[in-house]
Amino acid sequence: MNPKPTSKAAVLLENQELQARLDEAEEMLGAIGRGEADALVIENGAGPKVYTIEGDEAAANRFRSDMLAMVSDAIIAVDENERVIYINTAAERLYGFPASSALGRKLTEVRTALWPSVEKEAAAMALYRRHGEWRGEKIHILNDGRVLDIESSISALKGRDGQPGGRLAVMRDVTARNKREEEVLISEIRYRRLFESAHDGILILDPGTRKIVDANPYMTQMLGYSHAELAGKELFEIGLLKDKAASQDMVRKLRETREVRYDNLPLETRTGRHQDVEVVANLYDENGHPVIQCNIRDITERRRAGEHVKLLMAEVNHRAKNLLAVVQAFAHQTAKYGDPATFTARLSDRIDGLAAGQDLLVRNQWLGVDVADLVAVQLAHFKDLIGTRVLIEGPRALTLNMAAAQGIGMALHELATNAAKYGALSNRDGTVHIGWQVTNAAKPTFSMSWREDGGPVVVPPTRKGFGQIVIGRMAEAAVEGEAEIVFRESGLSWHLSAPAENALAQTEPYSQTRQPHDGG
Amino acid sequence: MTKPATTLAEADAMRTSARYVMRLYITGSTPNSTRAIANVRHICEEYLDGRYDLEVLDIARNPALAADAQIIAAPTLVRISPLPVRRFIGDMSRRDSILLGLGLRPIVGRPA
Repeated sequence: MNPKPTSKAAVLLENQELQARLDEAEEMLGAIGRGEADALVIENGAGPKVYTIEGDEAAANRFRSDMLAMVSDAIIAVDENERVIYINTAAERLYGFPASSALGRKLTEVRTALWPSVEKEAAAMALYRRHGEWRGEKIHILNDGRVLDIESSISALKGRDGQPGGRLAVMRDVTARNKREEEVLISEIRYRRLFESAHDGILILDPGTRKIVDANPYMTQMLGYSHAELAGKELFEIGLLKDKAASQDMVRKLRETREVRYDNLPLETRTGRHQDVEVVANLYDENGHPVIQCNIRDITERRRAGEHVKLLMAEVNHRAKNLLAVVQAFAHQTAKYGDPATFTARLSDRIDGLAAGQDLLVRNQWLGVDVADLVAVQLAHFKDLIGTRVLIEGPRALTLNMAAAQGIGMALHELATNAAKYGALSNRDGTVHIGWQVTNAAKPTFSMSWREDGGPVVVPPTRKGFGQIVIGRMAEAAVEGEAEIVFRESGLSWHLSAPAENALAQTEPYSQTRQPHDGG
Repeated sequence: MTKPATTLAEADAMRTSARYVMRLYITGSTPNSTRAIANVRHICEEYLDGRYDLEVLDIARNPALAADAQIIAAPTLVRISPLPVRRFIGDMSRRDSILLGLGLRPIVGRPA
């Protein structure tokens, strides 16, 4: 304050200030008198100090307020008009609203609360009205757009007169917890599905008791026991291990190595049926609790497949030797009967015919060859003539056994080669009729014929070449039948017949209907 | 900061258009403090829709705030703008007196 006013204006201003201070002091006294002031601020050398003027109650209020401020959960109190009258530090942080800005505001300005459903809201309101408190989850939308899952505990506040006067809410952000729970649930569903749908049997055992605590559906199916029947049993009780000692031994080994494998155990089902299984047992830790997981795989099929492979290997070995013997004979006979100048070409051609038949056999896993397929393969060079000059007639789905397929295949190859060089397929007009059938008699007979017409005039050979041996003796040997070769002037004809059981694959039902064949 | 009104016309314009900047000093969540907060917010929303900044400051948590603003009792409402600075002490329940002091009550019956 200036002790010596220098002008009228300055004096007026000073007067105005003094008046304002006086008014303020009067107002303060009035407020204290009316009980509207809670505290006085007194300046001293150490700075301002707040002195409460409401005594113990105000101090107790402040103590409570200080305690609430330290709580890690968010706390907000609202009055009966939904205005914020208290917000602690955790709530300031959660909602991004400082107390200085939030106090006195409508709660809806601080955050928007949503209920998961209308029904839940109605139920919560009913509970709150009845008991004056409610606990549950709500969704809060913050002013910055974030959406939080909030676990709330809401209690009704009472005024001094005992009447309801607002409420106190304690809130915890459980968004991360809910997300984790959802992830755990998804994971549980996913791995439960794996467990339920696995095509291996899975047993979960308690290492302490060695008893089954869970089994997947495949396991119950494999054993023929229900889930309830399996639960509480030891492995030896379901025939998986020999006896109690074996069961104890497995757990002891598991504790040492954490994994035990049994490659081939004879599992006995409830009905007494034996199944070969492979068992892999592991000792795992499930959140601090040890568990044993046994994966049980039915290896019956695998063993069968292994045996089949062994069988096939032996068969391949046998066939290869057989084939080499045939090739050897081809080479020997081709050299013996033919012109040495064309030996390589003739041998190569015969080996090609043999190879074509072998392909068919391999494709059918040496189980036999369909006659129509064999004819098509051996007449592949003349496929354009099939249906015009090469006429094929015979029942479908008639399967020759392996020896017959090889012998007849070689014979067809020789006949085709001969026809192209000298016979009906060496000119423009000749025709070849190929036919096969099975006679419908008490003892069925398979027969096959090749008849040429319209080719150059046939002159019977003066000596027997190797080709004639192939279509004659070798074909007969292959089917244990008879071959007839007639050199008609109009064309060669060949007829082979044998008991059907010698020529045809055993599994093949004999077809007795004759029908035209398209040669394809 | 808006300068003080010197005529009735200016006072009326201030009442209807000036932006109000105010601070309310309280001491925790005592009944007087909570009443003061509610009363002041109510006045602001009713008379100063969208043209006010109100800060509520707790001097129980931070006494230094009181020294900065020369607060001698709580609750105290300080009008910082428009000038002149005005202080009101109590729970702000004497609505007419507060409205008059804040310049939010129309001045009638006096010559310009």
